[in-house]
Amino acid sequence: MPEAILREVRALIRGQTNRHVDSWKAAGRPVVGYFCSYVPREILLAAGALPFRLRGAGSEDSSRGDAYLSGRVCTYVRHVMSLALEGAYDFLDGEVSTNTCDHVRRSADVFVKKTAIPFHGFLSVPRTPRESLYGYYLGELKKLVDGLDRHFGVKIGADRLRDAIRMFNGVRARLHTINRMRLEDKPRLSGAEALAVHIASQVVPPTVFTELADRLIEALQGRAGLDSARGRLVLVGAELDEPEYVEALESQGALVVADQLCFGARSALDPIDAETADPLDAIGRAYFFMASCARMIGDFPRRWEQLKAMVRAARADGVVFERIIFCDPWGAELHNILQRVKKENAFPVLSLTREYNVVPTGQVKTRVQAFVEKIEIARAQRQAACGGER
Amino acid sequence: MTSKEILATREWREIFETLPVLQKFFGGDPAAHGLNGLLEGCTSYLEKLLAHADEGKPFVWYNLGFNSELIYALGGVHPVTIELLGALHSILGNQRNTLDFIDGAQAVGIPADCCSADKIAIGAIHKGLYPAPACTVGINTPCDAQVLSTQVMQELAGVPFFAVDVPYYHNEETVRHVAGQLRELIPFLEQHTGRRMDYDRLREVCEISNGTTEAIWEWLEWRKQVPLTQSSKLVAFTLLLQILFTGSPEGLKIARALLREARERTERKEKFFEERVRAVWYQDAVWTDLQIYDWFERELGLTVPVDIFGYYANEGLIDTATPETMLYGLARKLVNCHPMARQFRGDMDMYIRDFMHLLEAWKADCCIFAGHIACKHAWGGIGLFKEACRRAEVPLLVFEFDMFDPRVTPYEDVYFEVERFVNEIVYPRKLREGKA
Repeated sequence: MPEAILREVRALIRGQTNRHVDSWKAAGRPVVGYFCSYVPREILLAAGALPFRLRGAGSEDSSRGDAYLSGRVCTYVRHVMSLALEGAYDFLDGEVSTNTCDHVRRSADVFVKKTAIPFHGFLSVPRTPRESLYGYYLGELKKLVDGLDRHFGVKIGADRLRDAIRMFNGVRARLHTINRMRLEDKPRLSGAEALAVHIASQVVPPTVFTELADRLIEALQGRAGLDSARGRLVLVGAELDEPEYVEALESQGALVVADQLCFGARSALDPIDAETADPLDAIGRAYFFMASCARMIGDFPRRWEQLKAMVRAARADGVVFERIIFCDPWGAELHNILQRVKKENAFPVLSLTREYNVVPTGQVKTRVQAFVEKIEIARAQRQAACGGER
Repeated sequence: MTSKEILATREWREIFETLPVLQKFFGGDPAAHGLNGLLEGCTSYLEKLLAHADEGKPFVWYNLGFNSELIYALGGVHPVTIELLGALHSILGNQRNTLDFIDGAQAVGIPADCCSADKIAIGAIHKGLYPAPACTVGINTPCDAQVLSTQVMQELAGVPFFAVDVPYYHNEETVRHVAGQLRELIPFLEQHTGRRMDYDRLREVCEISNGTTEAIWEWLEWRKQVPLTQSSKLVAFTLLLQILFTGSPEGLKIARALLREARERTERKEKFFEERVRAVWYQDAVWTDLQIYDWFERELGLTVPVDIFGYYANEGLIDTATPETMLYGLARKLVNCHPMARQFRGDMDMYIRDFMHLLEAWKADCCIFAGHIACKHAWGGIGLFKEACRRAEVPLLVFEFDMFDPRVTPYEDVYFEVERFVNEIVYPRKLREGKA
């Protein structure tokens, strides 16, 4: 039964850690936290560490984070920081921060100065995915490799990187399979379930995830598809690692059949060539040129084309855009998407501004409900115009 | 867009109508070289913009983190910073236009919690107020707000766009990385403006830029005088100078006018006002009403000898020996000297270190952290900044406001906060310590 496996998945992502992380630690192996999808997990794994995506799951109060970061910083980062300052991340042997945005950048200051985490890595990721800037990113990866080598007393060579690539290619293959199952006319799993699976892939060892995902995929084959007749949605936007949020959206009758979320489908990446002569370069290229985050300047035209292609492939009726309040890069993205939607008469968009760790209540649900109804009406009008065909 | 079309818009017309009024007003004070120089510089710049439009010459747009030397060096290309109109309206007191830009940007999808400096740019672009550019240049400094404004600029301009990436670190590699991109930018500019880079002209532009920098440095030295002999409100203009005018004769003229005023007032031992307390104004100037600084001076005896926008770090001049040294010097200026870009990117160490330097060198008694609500990088560092101030035993006032939108925090509230801080905290402390 997929439900039992999905409950297992939920249990893994409910709190700051999980039993597989505990087992990993119990075996004397290090765990390294990271904030951003531009940190290649393969490098951390090649250093013998478990790459662990930092989240605010289980945080009930951001006040410790607020004291350092103020109330003007995104609540996702403030909750993560609160947990770190409360000691919830003391099990980490290291953390790798980035200049993803001003919020994550400032949390890096606090991580370094106010936590007891012994290793701090940092990647300055260029703000635009231009070929001429790729060398800088690769240089940053090399520095991270050197730092990990020195701190953990390992030697991250080509063979270790190749092994790590193979491991994560296994994770990717499963995620791609699961994402394809979402695209069916009757999707095998909901958007909330799919997001939970993607999150799990970022907080457990890859071997554990592939075993879990294989069981899930097999179980899903026998699951009757879900009804997406009321509306098929694509979910796009900033950091979202709360399946409960997606559940609340889907409770209004539509299904999220595809996403471009950092914690979701965007984290999967395409397979990386493990057999290449320079695996670090292969990793660097895969991450630097992946479907980009809104923090990448100048890449909106590509993101727009990818979004349109996703809407087509998913046969989606509309796009839900979500953004955590105070996020500038995704603020620009919202403006630009609205401009293109208007210019190209592309698809209906619902924009939601949210806070981390707050499940949508009445107001948001009402807006989603109205959006779903709008989609239904538009579809009915199209069907009437086309003689009844969907 | 011709000058006739530009001047047909209310927003441009009001700028041209306001400038002479203010020139007449400040012209009444023959010692006010700084403000007069600034108004003359603005007028000259805008008149050139009109002439340029009539001649059909190309424009290049850029955002506030970039400097214009390379654009000037192309010859016959006019730089336009996209925050120009909104900022000018705010400074000149035509607040209604600035607020229209802000509201206009929000109406087309810019979230309310994003920076008003972006909104004034985006609102003006949406109204079609700037002459169409041949291409645009965006830089990611000083903050995430620039990531927003550059991406929107690219989308709305619909012309080729070049992004300059400034890394996180304060080191030599960062300067070289940016210099490399400026080298890459030149053929891009040449291709899209149809002009050729003339390195002799670049040398002239860099020399003007160096002259401006030297004048600013000397001006800032004069502002160390106790008591301060010139207006507090002038200090933030370094930023305006560097964004709008760097590399232009107007910029040099304004910087020298500021310097002249400081020198003359100090040499005359002019007592501008009764100074009781000196503050480093850290973070954002109250662009919505610069007269508030006059109010502080007159009512509270509070002076601001230096602020973060006014401080121009002495990291050396541009070496004009070769094209390579010039690009390196321009890159260093962009990342290490440009106000905000220096302190706002990277870690908090530079931000705190610069504050401690300003406090000591400009002999300030306290810090006023004027927190523009959208400066997430600054608010994100507030905990560490407070700790640093506490360790150094520096009285610190922290308040929220919006530098371009007085509807967020009214002037009265800003004044109330500052008044209480000066009269109940800082001045009594000075008295206790026998420093008053």
